[in-house]
Amino acid sequence: MVVSRVFRILQGAMLAATLPALALAAAPASAPSPQAAIAARQAGFKKMGAAMKALKAQLEAGAPAKDVMANAAHTIALTAPQQATLFPAGSGTSAGVKTDALPNIWTDRANFDALMVRLAAETGKLQAVATGGDVAAIAAQAKATGAACAACHRQFRADN
Amino acid sequence: MPPAEQAATPRRAPIWDAPVRLFHWLLVALLAFSWWSGKHHDMDWHRRSGYTILALLIFRIYWGFFGGRTARFAQFVRGPRAAFAYARALATGRHVATPGHNPIGGWSVIVMLGSLAVMVCAGLFSVDVDGLESGPLADYVSFDHGRVAAAIHHLMFNLLLGLAALHVLAVLFYLVRLRRDLITPMIHGRSRVHEEGAVEDLAASGWKAVLGMVIAGVCAYAISRGLHF
Repeated sequence: MVVSRVFRILQGAMLAATLPALALAAAPASAPSPQAAIAARQAGFKKMGAAMKALKAQLEAGAPAKDVMANAAHTIALTAPQQATLFPAGSGTSAGVKTDALPNIWTDRANFDALMVRLAAETGKLQAVATGGDVAAIAAQAKATGAACAACHRQFRADN
Repeated sequence: MPPAEQAATPRRAPIWDAPVRLFHWLLVALLAFSWWSGKHHDMDWHRRSGYTILALLIFRIYWGFFGGRTARFAQFVRGPRAAFAYARALATGRHVATPGHNPIGGWSVIVMLGSLAVMVCAGLFSVDVDGLESGPLADYVSFDHGRVAAAIHHLMFNLLLGLAALHVLAVLFYLVRLRRDLITPMIHGRSRVHEEGAVEDLAASGWKAVLGMVIAGVCAYAISRGLHF
């Protein structure tokens, strides 16, 4: 009897702990919690990385599939501008979640934002050339986009 | 120093064949270069360096079966009993010089080669964080798995650094405490020590070395092209 009551209390507590997380996931538009922002931006970067890898695989293939490259570039260009909004104050290492975001993101914000603008611009160009289908141009622009990634990582990302 | 060693007339017996020595020093240089190029994100050179290390590794494994006497796994990979007996002899000062790798050194070689192999393999599947730079076999795995491979690649490098430090410390221990120079024999290939069982000829075959280099080169090239033919 006692055991089942304890179990029920535990269940209730677990539900109570899960609900706010669910609410956050459902409504990310209003200022997200630092932890939610970290999770969202990490998912975004992973999506971009995976798309870039898929694009790169086509570039190295004998006959690149143009629709695959266009889709990947579309994903990258769509995700990149959102990433800049996912670095609210307090979402650094102080958030208590594992993140490679360095504290100078928030002390050198203008520089960080400029690099995010550069990323969005490069990914926009990537999408444009990928839609065009010129393999050499796509390869060159993929490289330019990667350089934008790397420029920011060098300054603002740990483990680099 | 045991009196037996002083009594023997010093002579220089061949101990390491040329491919073993070349492998050793090329590996030292390429590991340093790989670290440097990786640190500076010069991934084109990092990959080239890695492919050369891959070729070296394949050659060394081949040479462990077809190489000179002291290069062969069968000669230097000994059981745990032999390793413990050797360690005891070292601790009690009854250390006996062995031609080639001693029972502990043999295991050190296996552990270092094994770690190197894991590091190289992980590198082949690695994907950089931006998804653009990757190893030649990364096409066969997902982005997430490629990231795991990169983490293993990194971890193994740190482990290998530790093993290399241990290796250097052991060599210094032999030099300072046991007054035995292990460094110059790895350069000129001959040992001054009158070891029991030392041989005049390592029986390293030139054509087998060339064949091994060709095999290693072809394999490393094929892997560097992502096995796409």
